[in-house]
Amino acid sequence: MMWFIGKRLVQGLITVWFIATATFFAMHNVPGDPLLNDRATTAIIRANLEAKYGLDKPVTTQYFIYLNNIAHGDFGISFAQENREVNDIIREHFPVSAILGILAVVIAAVGGILWGSLTALYRNRLPDYIIMFLVILGISVPSFVIAALSQLGIVTINSLLGRTFLPVAGWGTISHMLVPALVLGLTTMAYLTRLMRSSMLEIVNSDFVRTAKSKGVPPARIFARHQLRNAVLPVITVLGPSIAAITTGGFVVEIVFAIPGLGRFFVEAVQQLDYTVIMGTTVFYGAFLVFMVILVDVIYGFIDPRVRMN
Amino acid sequence: MTTAATGLQHTPSLLEVEDLAVEFSTYGGIVRAVRGVSFAVERGKTMAIVGESGCGKSVTVQAMMGLTPMPPGRITSGSARLNGVEVLGRNIINGKDIRGSQIGMIFQDPMTSLNPTMTIGDQIAEPLQVHRGYSHKRAFAEAIELLSITKIPEAAKRARQYPFEFSGGMLQRAMIAMAIACKPSILIADEPTTALDVTIQAQILDLLQDLQKETGMAIILITHDLGVVARMADDVAVMYAGKVVEQGGVDDIFYRSAHPYTLGLKLAMPTNDPSKQHKLNPIEGSPPDLFAPPIGCGYCPRCPYSMKICDVKDPDILPVGKKHESRCWLQHPQAITVPDELYCGEKA
Repeated sequence: MMWFIGKRLVQGLITVWFIATATFFAMHNVPGDPLLNDRATTAIIRANLEAKYGLDKPVTTQYFIYLNNIAHGDFGISFAQENREVNDIIREHFPVSAILGILAVVIAAVGGILWGSLTALYRNRLPDYIIMFLVILGISVPSFVIAALSQLGIVTINSLLGRTFLPVAGWGTISHMLVPALVLGLTTMAYLTRLMRSSMLEIVNSDFVRTAKSKGVPPARIFARHQLRNAVLPVITVLGPSIAAITTGGFVVEIVFAIPGLGRFFVEAVQQLDYTVIMGTTVFYGAFLVFMVILVDVIYGFIDPRVRMN
Repeated sequence: MTTAATGLQHTPSLLEVEDLAVEFSTYGGIVRAVRGVSFAVERGKTMAIVGESGCGKSVTVQAMMGLTPMPPGRITSGSARLNGVEVLGRNIINGKDIRGSQIGMIFQDPMTSLNPTMTIGDQIAEPLQVHRGYSHKRAFAEAIELLSITKIPEAAKRARQYPFEFSGGMLQRAMIAMAIACKPSILIADEPTTALDVTIQAQILDLLQDLQKETGMAIILITHDLGVVARMADDVAVMYAGKVVEQGGVDDIFYRSAHPYTLGLKLAMPTNDPSKQHKLNPIEGSPPDLFAPPIGCGYCPRCPYSMKICDVKDPDILPVGKKHESRCWLQHPQAITVPDELYCGEKA
């Protein structure tokens, strides 16, 4: 198992290096110069920046300076905002995005597994039809629409109750997090429900479930010990990519709910051609996603012995 | 109506299945997979159910065990009595669970019949935990013991492994260990060697015979391999199109075949006797469509001896010898005698 984790970590490191390299060269091919905007930079500042990043040197030299910097955890200073280090931006705003994202993933996974199992057990009966209808809705309606509708719903509830039952926007307490996380996780939950349903239906008719029945194992125990663990495997497989989908989807939800996450800085940085912020946040996000995917793989290994031992 | 149990009434059998009928609702209509099957299994004996694919062998035992999904399946008539107590539609008789405790079962494909994410030991321990309330530790220790009884080397180490680390033959041994964990009085083996290669087949059959000698359990062996039948069975029921067409002792079936289908099966067996020709003798045609079962004998269109009556009236079960019965009009006292290999004992 340690060997398995170690191997995945090394692969992850290579992936992150690849992301960093691709981002670097992509940014260098973007036309424009952040130092030549309206707020003219003095010659001294320009000279200092050029010295720090080797901007007057060949691209390959710049590349190695850049790699060396991020290897030391230094993503540089923002070109567009005064006195802001990229590290500060990440430190202040990433935890907000991460909490929102992880909460959404947990809601999506638990919900997907629960609803998926339920629809499989009630196949072709009323609960199945109702849930599968909602699933189609969840997959088709974009998250910003659901976000706005849910805000409307909260406002209605709050005004009916005459007090603030749930905050409409903002960040800080658990009650701030619940609705945005639910909205963010909804599409993925719908997708996972479908996956879990088909996977569970396959398992229900499998030979080893028949064996368990022939052993006289009670249905509840068959469900918990034979069906669930095997049916959940495909769901866990897609959980890695789902995390990516949720975190990128998070940019929109963060803006609708006025959540001070990293997403806003990411988008603003692109608009302002803020090189260091774009590269820093991209590489950091990339590394985070790679880490989460590795985490999912390790969890998969714990559940499926065939992965763990090969 | 005459049934298999009639001839055996003075000595009550361990398991008596009477007139069992099972059908399935499908999009294409109702499939009448089993159409009135009767047989009896004696204590400590091996009963073989023989027949080609789709003749209802597996459905018969799976319906009895409550393993056929209902719906679409449905038991329309019949009874199955274990020690004289009805088991159909019930989970517990005489205070003990039927499945896994009084009747054990092994299946055709050991590769898919075990849970891939659970250790072999845990899976063997499970019936002991469920039926006898053993702690996990005690059940696991017993599982190791069971693995060594089924002749798996290094049982303690093997019990901690997963199915993907076992070969097909080993998995079938583990399945057997699991099925006999609670010392059932009957072991149902549903084509236990079909998915295994020939040398492993022989080992598994030997193992089953050894276990039967030690524990005195009865075995219901479902197979389409007459070689396996000859080697294992005490009694044989030959099934065709959802009915038992002939049953009797193993010698009756092989040496005094009293139904043209049994005869056809026997002649279709490949031989390596150099004095005989090596061309295979298939039974021409195919089994009837069980969506619309024939009124007469199901084997009639393929039968070289078919008569006018065969097409319009299904034969009753007719006695051929002691505990030997055939569902064929040729066994009727008024039928003509065919000058062939077909045995017509009583009548002649």
